[in-house]
Order: sequence, then structure tokens, then C-alpha cells
Amino acid sequence: MNISSITRLTAALALTSAVAFGGDSHAIKVGKVITMAGEPIENGIVLIESGRITAVGPASEIQIPWDAEVFEAPNLVAFPGQVEACTSQGMDRANESIDVAPFLNVVDSVDPVNFFYEEMLRAGITTLNVQQGNSTVIAGRGMIVKPSGMTVAAMTVRPEAGIKIAITPKRGKSRAVQLMILREAFAGLRRTLEGLVQEANDGNDHARREALAQGRDFEAEDGKGRAMTGSGWIVEGLEAVPRASIDSKILPLLAIVEGRISVYMACSTPMDVLHGLEIAKENGFLAQTVLLLGPTCWKVSDEIKAAGVRGVILSSTLEHTERAPFAEEDTVTVLPTHFAEKGIPFALASQNSTTESLWFQAARCVALGVDREVALAAITSGPAEVIGLSSEVGTIEKGKHGNLVLLSGDPLSLQTQVRYVFIEGELTYDRTTDTRLQHLMDGVQPEGTSADEPVVEDIHEEERTAGDK
Amino acid sequence: MIYPGFLISCVLFALASPAPEAPKPVDLTVHAEYLHVAPGEVVRNALIQIQEGKIASVLPGRSAPDGALSVHSIMAGMIDASARVTPGLVAVEQSKEVITNLSVTDSLDFFNPAWDRLARTGVTTALIAPPDYNVVGGFSVVVKTSGPKRVEARVVNGASILRGAIGDLPSAGNSPAFGRPTNFYARRPTTRMGVEWEWRKAFFDAAQSARFPDAEFEGADVLRACLAGDVRIFIQAWTTADIRTAVYLDEEMQAEGYGDLDIVIDAGAEAWKEPAFLVRTGTPVVLPPFPATGRLGERAFMPWDTGRKLIDLGIMIALSAHGETGLKERLSAQAGYAIRGGLTFDEALACVTTTPARLLGVEKQVGTVKSGMDADLVLWNGAPFSATSNIVGVVASGEVVLTPR
Repeated sequence: MNISSITRLTAALALTSAVAFGGDSHAIKVGKVITMAGEPIENGIVLIESGRITAVGPASEIQIPWDAEVFEAPNLVAFPGQVEACTSQGMDRANESIDVAPFLNVVDSVDPVNFFYEEMLRAGITTLNVQQGNSTVIAGRGMIVKPSGMTVAAMTVRPEAGIKIAITPKRGKSRAVQLMILREAFAGLRRTLEGLVQEANDGNDHARREALAQGRDFEAEDGKGRAMTGSGWIVEGLEAVPRASIDSKILPLLAIVEGRISVYMACSTPMDVLHGLEIAKENGFLAQTVLLLGPTCWKVSDEIKAAGVRGVILSSTLEHTERAPFAEEDTVTVLPTHFAEKGIPFALASQNSTTESLWFQAARCVALGVDREVALAAITSGPAEVIGLSSEVGTIEKGKHGNLVLLSGDPLSLQTQVRYVFIEGELTYDRTTDTRLQHLMDGVQPEGTSADEPVVEDIHEEERTAGDK
Repeated sequence: MIYPGFLISCVLFALASPAPEAPKPVDLTVHAEYLHVAPGEVVRNALIQIQEGKIASVLPGRSAPDGALSVHSIMAGMIDASARVTPGLVAVEQSKEVITNLSVTDSLDFFNPAWDRLARTGVTTALIAPPDYNVVGGFSVVVKTSGPKRVEARVVNGASILRGAIGDLPSAGNSPAFGRPTNFYARRPTTRMGVEWEWRKAFFDAAQSARFPDAEFEGADVLRACLAGDVRIFIQAWTTADIRTAVYLDEEMQAEGYGDLDIVIDAGAEAWKEPAFLVRTGTPVVLPPFPATGRLGERAFMPWDTGRKLIDLGIMIALSAHGETGLKERLSAQAGYAIRGGLTFDEALACVTTTPARLLGVEKQVGTVKSGMDADLVLWNGAPFSATSNIVGVVASGEVVLTPR
């Protein structure tokens, strides 16, 4: 039985199998699979079941399940869906007007029909960490999404996946005020927690009664007290305070100090990095901190390495050039090379336009002399690691989400097109139906978006044809 | 500026080789694994010898001598036919709508660091035009983007190129100081219609002045030279309506028997919409930088396969970065984008070297890497225009303006 008859058979069985087994099984058969976890596989097959990759290997070794829907593209290259490590686009607006707002959640701000997500999908980016902007001190809680789905719930990959903290001052503030507000936020948290413990020990129950009055749930874990954990500071005796009785305005801060939520720290200068690292250390969240670095921050890379943050995210300036005032020579630092040599996990970030997407950043890295594998990792497995999702996305491996992009060629070539995108096994993007891209690339005006030439009725047609006779 | 004597000596040198009587010392030697001599012409392991700013010889199959610059690929210095490095509005002569007897040469500031930035992106020759706030703004000039900071050292003798515009810009902001325009003949154009009228009036008057000496006016000789085809006209026309207007202008002059204009459309973003006009008159187009969203100046829309479509129709095109030097805007990036839009490598190379050289009439001096040509080279660490390659060095008139690290 040849492949096409298998395809026909599976197509015929597709309905039955979906009904009978309730699972969705996909087999994607391509000319080459760049897994980003080992050598590329020629003539490879990726099997996906219920959104997860169940097997990857050469066609000769992989048995396609009888109920799998087969997608055959022998001329295309499968590449992991790229991962955008931190973006502030695709939201209603990126920033709050209040300084400390960890109680907010971008779930209320993410706009599923924003063109941004369409643009990301078109570029082959399948996982995005959406965090608030840098014009804040402590921002609301961000989330990891996929660029498909018409509701935020459908887009969600990880809710509450991090909080943006800006060390670089927001507009109109000095660094001193910025840092004072930041330090005070954590100092205030500590005072409040100590107060709660004191109240509990004194037998007062104000917080609990307040929480009940607000209708907060005291069921299950929330109803219990739990000793505080964390590597920074600890308030002894917090187990006496039910977690639900702690004001939800400061609970996310407690999550930061207890190391339960990632922190994305915006630092535009080396001095910001040093302040940020110090505050992260004091409050015990260094290990789950990711630094968003400005072009000069490579200067404190040793301190970053020593601090042991989870990773860094580079801006689109990949090469930093500096001219010493009295020397004629430029000092040029290629940032990806620098961080790779220091052994600091890093991710590239896209500027979210056709010409500045993640693949282009990776290509620029190669142009600057960065090893090709390092550059490709910096848009796939690298950002997955940085956002703490390396067990789920970033490579084409058994057990991970079935996120893959089918390319017409080399991932870093200008001529390569993103043909299809699969997210969790579902065909989510098909270039042949992308009318907006066809308009941009081929000048094909999408149907129904422009007025047709008016049809003028030829009222003299009869006379003329009569004359001809 | 070519010094004729020098040019002759170069030719003689080339003829006399391989046994010149007293070989001049080689000023600079550059080596490349792949030398793109001209579009479609590659020399492997080429050694380029440079003397007095010119390419003295190109030797194939050589290995890099010690101390010579050696890179993966070398191509000719790029030529931007719409580089837009001008002092801005101070270069706009405001006394008339149609200025034909001034040249932008006098307003060039070679101390502007923008020239260095441009040269370091591999653009070694550029057409500089007056800003488009006049209908006809005067003569453009072809210059080298680096070299001594003097006009005579930088100007390249090419075609005489007059500059004009159709569209929004020449009428932008034109309103009388007070009240309404009182006289049809005494106002600057305030609409696109007025711009078009100014173009036709200028050539009509010039044609009349050839027949009636009394009708002679200042600058009419230049317009007559345009009608005779001796002066090329670069017309900025973004939208298809403006491109059509330019072509109609040419055809009207022909129909009236006044002459035949030699027009090049600059910033012809919408040339793809009604290419039949350009095919009909054989009009070349300089394309503006590729826009990420397709949208450009004056509400024009340029899809990324514009280059492919126009070349397929036999329309001559050059690419331009409009003088932008950012990593994603510069001319080498535009060539890459054109390839993304369907051009072959050789076509893209032609669009930034030999084609603009022909449009500017400087193809005998720049645009290819052959002996006797200016020693303008772009040095790459990989295949030129590829997203994974970088310009690592630039040589302009034999001087290294960007040194490979």
C-alpha cells in the first residue's frame, strides 16, 4: 500500500477515528526535520497526538498510526515553532499609569484579534511571552500565549507566567525614585506580612474578616496557612495566616519573593543591571529573573553570570560599537557571541515587523560571526529555556507541543517562505490562504477590499449591432 | 572627475601589460574567494590590484598574499540613484516653480558625516538631487560618497540629469501669503493639477521659444536640451497616477513634435500597477526602499515582488535606499529584499551597480570590477545580500573606508 492510498484511507477514516477515539493524531511527513535537538533528519516524520509530539524520526523508522491524518510536504523543511521570549505587543495598551500593579493581569489586556498575533504566526512564531511594557516599576502579571484562537482562554499556554520589573526609570522619574519605589514595594510587603503574623499571634482576625467580607475563597489550600519559603528574606510564622486572608494586591509580590513567578527585569544600562541584581538577590528572586538588556549591558556580563539569573534577552542591536574619546579605534562587541562565551543563556527578540522578525535576528547573528547552531537556538530552544518552558516548546522532540513550521528552505535565507504553521498539531497557518501576505508580497488586492470598475451599461448596443447587420 | 590624461594612461597600462616598462607600485591588494566582476560574471580566488584609485588588474586563481585584505566575496561599490543626502530645505530655490539653471552641487556639504555613513554601507557613488519642493528643482549631480571634501574631487562626470517631481510634494504648503491666488499665472502650484500644468507649460514654452526668439526665457535652453534628449530627467512619481502623468508628458511632447524626453521615474513605488505605460515608452524606474507594510510616501503601495514584475516586462530598474544607512534600510538590504521578492542574485546585483551606473551615465567608470574602473569595492564575509552575510569592508577609489576586522 503506497502513501497516497494511506492518505486516502486515513482521510476516509478521519471522521470515524475522531468520533471513535476522541484523540487527534497527525503525521507530518517532510523532506527534512530540523529538530534543534540533535542532527537534522532527512525525510522525516513527526507524529503528534492530542497536541503533543509522540515520535520524530526518519520515514524508514516511523510507523504512521492507521488513524493519523497525514500531511505530506516532501519539499519542505520542518523547524520548531519559534519562541518570542518577551514582548509588550498585542495588548490593549502596554503600560499602566500606576507604578506598582502586580495585582493586574494581562489576561484582561491581550487582544486576540490584534494584527500582531497574525504577523507573528506568519513569521513562524508559535509561542509568545506577553509582558507589560517597561514604563512601570512593577507591572501586572504577564502570560505565555500562542498566536491562534479567538479568545484569550484559547490562546493561553501559561497564565501568570511572569511579572515585568523595570529598573530603568519610567518616563518622568529619576533612577533614585524608581529604585525607592521598587525597594519600598518589597519592604512594604514584608511589613504587611509581619503585621499579619502579629495579628494572628495576638488573636486578631481583621484580615480574615476583611477577606471574607470581600468574598474571597477560603477553600482548600487558600484556607490554610503556609510557612513562607524563599531565598531572600522570610517572615517567620506566616503559617498562622491563611493565604486567602492576604490582600490579593500584594499576593503576587509574595509569589515573587517565594520564587513562584518569573521576573522580567528591564535594564537599559549596566548600572541598572547592578541595581536590579542587588534587589533580586535581597528579595530572593535571582534564580527566576530574566534580564532584558540594553546594548551596553554586556559590560556587566561577569556580574550577570555570577548572579546566576535564568537568562537574558537581547535587544535588536546585536553589535555594540564604542569609540573611546581619545583613541581612534572602535571597540566592537558582538553581543550574542559575548553572552554565548560567558555561558549565559540568551534569547533574541524580534521587533515584530516583516523585516525584523526572529529569523532575521538569527540571520544577523550569523552575519556577525555567531555560530549557526547558536543563532538558531537563540530563537527556539534558547528563549524556551529563558521563559522556563523548555520542557514544552522550542525543539521538535517527543513529549513537547506539536509546534512546527514548514519552511520552503533554509530557516535563515531571505528567499525562504513560511508555508505552514502547526500549533499543537493543528494546521494554523497556510500561506496559500494568507490574503494579507499576498497583498504585500505579490500586490494581490484581497477580494472585496476595493471597488470594482463600474460596469457601464451600453445603452446603444442594440442600435450598433442592428447597424452591423 | 576623470582626468583624461590619467584615463589614457590607465588604458595604455592595460594594453601594455603583461610587460609594462616601469611597473607602478601597487597601492592596495585585495583578495576574494568569489569576485563578482559584474552581474553574471564571477571570478574565483581573485586578486585585485589597485593603483592610484583605479583597478589595475584582476588576477584569477590566486591565493591571498600575506598582509592583503582577504574576504569571502567582493562586488563593485554600490550606486544609489536616489541617495538624498542634501542639506534639506535650504537647497530649495523658492523663487520659481521650474528651476533649470541651478545645480544641487552648490548646496552639497561634504563635511556632513552622513557621507561617511553612506560610504560604510557600501554605497560609493550616489546621485544627489535637489529636494522635491519645486516642480523642476534643478540639476542633480553624481558624486563619490568619500574622498577629499572638495566638490571637484567628488563629482563624477556622468549624464546631465535634471530633477523634477509630480505628486504632492511640489505643491505641499504652497499657498499665497494672504488671500486667494489672484492670478493663474502668478502662483506656485497649490494642487497636483497645478504641478502637472507647470510641467506642460515649461516644455510648451521651451518648444515655442525655439521657434520664436522673442519667447526666449531664462533656462529655456535646458528644457530644449531635455526635448532633444540631451538632458535626462529624473521625475519623482510615487503613485501610478503620477507615473502615468510623466509618461503622458513624454508622449504629448512627441505627439506635438516638440521632441522626445529621456525620463527616469524615481521612487516609482506603484510602477507595478500600470506597467504598460513604462513598457510603451521604455522608461526606467528607480524603486524606493521596500516597506515592511507595503505603504510608502504619498499613499503609494509597493509589494515586494515589484522588482520581479518589472524586470519580467523588460523595464529597467534600479534599487535605492534613499540614503538610509541603518542595518535594515541600507542599499545592500534593499537588494536582499528584492531577492526575497523574487529577483535572482545577478538581477539584484545589477539593480545596485550596473543599472544605476547606466542611468547616471557613469558605467564606464563605476559599477563593475574591471581594470581601469574606479577601485570601488564592497567586501563581504559571505554571499552578498544574504541575510547571514555582512559588509565587512569597503574600498572607495582605492582607499579603505571600512576596514575588515
